[in-house]
Amino acid sequence: MKRRVVLVDDHDLFLAGVRAELGDAVEVVGHAGTIADAVPLITELDPDVVLLDVHLPDGSGDAIINAVAADRPGVRFLALSVSDAAEDVIAVIRAGARGYVTKTISGPELAAAIECVATGDAVFSPRLAGFVLDAFRAGEQVGGDTELDELTPREREVLQLIARGYMYKEIAARLHLSVKTVESHVSSVLRKLQLSTRHELARWATQHRLV
Amino acid sequence: MPLRTFASSDERVIAGVCAGIARTLAVDVTLVRLVFALLALAGGAGILLYLALWAWARGKRVWIAGLLALVAGAALLGALGLSDQSVVGIALIAGGLALAWRQGGSFRADAPLSYWGLALAALGAVTLLSGGGTSSTLLAPGAVVGALLLIGGPWVWRLAIDRDVERTARIRSEERSDMAARVHDSVLQTLALIQRHAEEPRRVASLARRQERELRGWLYGDQPLGDVNASLNAALSAAAGDVEELHGVRVELASAGDCPVDTSVGALVLAAREAMTNAAKFAGVEEINVYAEVADDAVSVFVRDRGAGFDRAAVPADRRGIVESIEGRMERAGGRATIETSPGGGTEVELHLPRRPS
Repeated sequence: MKRRVVLVDDHDLFLAGVRAELGDAVEVVGHAGTIADAVPLITELDPDVVLLDVHLPDGSGDAIINAVAADRPGVRFLALSVSDAAEDVIAVIRAGARGYVTKTISGPELAAAIECVATGDAVFSPRLAGFVLDAFRAGEQVGGDTELDELTPREREVLQLIARGYMYKEIAARLHLSVKTVESHVSSVLRKLQLSTRHELARWATQHRLV
Repeated sequence: MPLRTFASSDERVIAGVCAGIARTLAVDVTLVRLVFALLALAGGAGILLYLALWAWARGKRVWIAGLLALVAGAALLGALGLSDQSVVGIALIAGGLALAWRQGGSFRADAPLSYWGLALAALGAVTLLSGGGTSSTLLAPGAVVGALLLIGGPWVWRLAIDRDVERTARIRSEERSDMAARVHDSVLQTLALIQRHAEEPRRVASLARRQERELRGWLYGDQPLGDVNASLNAALSAAAGDVEELHGVRVELASAGDCPVDTSVGALVLAAREAMTNAAKFAGVEEINVYAEVADDAVSVFVRDRGAGFDRAAVPADRRGIVESIEGRMERAGGRATIETSPGGGTEVELHLPRRPS
């Protein structure tokens, strides 16, 4: 069954491009250009995945996640952005997005990312993997929940390979793991990214709210 | 003059002055009426003030309004038990201030101060001072200081505001011209180039990529446009841009951490650039991944492609690219290069440089 997808982006040109590139891989059931339009639309359509631009005319994409998540817990969000600003990316991820990809991603890669998010796995772009490794730098002591505030060596290894441009399949082969195990490591990193109280993440979140 | 917003007919009892005031100050109209009623008991001041405000609100008889207000004030002061001379003095000061404000007008810094008004206020002050009695000796110096503040204050205040406005405007215009210069130097030039090379999609794509990278670095990073030696990431980004432009590939750059560029990090960047160039030329792929990791004790850069790969043993010894530009360079800088490749299996070059603890 094709995944039902809602696109949220205020750039018509880009929306048309994504529709064309995705082609028959998914079923685009609707699109919106603002937070105000997107929230009722997503609530009504209850899609599998929402492709979400980080910056919208009436605010930041995480507002949609916060507004929709309670009513439609089954909807998965994939952030799609041209922005490289760490605080933007971290904010949507911490609001509950299952992944982040840049807008230069190719059609087939995007379709694969949507499928991955729809099945409950996480999608990290190489750049996001770099951010995360930086934020969870080893050796820095922090208070709070250490389980959430530290990456395991294995998670670190997986993230580093993602940053180096390896796909899950390639990582699995290289580390002699199953693809499922690699996916569960990435999901675990995503959970830590969303819940950790690490100083760097808190700082990013604060800066984001202030902007 | 906010008071000119007259109260509507259903709110008014007499002329709607109380309701108008209440609405302007956003207070309950009963409270305003109570104040006027109390003032009316003080020698009829309330009634006179009411008439004065009504005249003012009508906007025609400003002088009458002023005079009525003065008389109302005098009546009030008289009712409070001040001597006649004090009352006249205060009335003169108030009149002088009114004149100074009217002519000095509307808080403009360049508006002239009214000397007549000042003179009148000074006369009032003198009258007040010479009036004798304990209440006026206490009142007089305060009244004079207050008068000076009221006349000079708005002028000084306005001057300060004007300077702030001017400075903000200047900063904004400087920012705008700075932005215009950057946009002109980079974005507009690139757009012009793209128009000229519209027939070559690869070139157009690489121009767009390079411009995007530059603009991003400027908007989201703190690296100045063009200063490629600011940091490892900036230098790698510039090298990636060059390779993209020269060979029409896409270089996906990721990083964890950053560091300044010294001689050995500079050598690392050059080696990475050579590795990117090799990948672009020989791998036959459209995308190259570059990842830079700065740890406390080492800097690592990974350059990876999913392309043709090659057999190290089959590379002619005279091909200096890998041996000289990558491995040799890294060794001289105190690091090492590891190349992992096989025919058909892609290539990954790992550049490793230990850092001296700083």
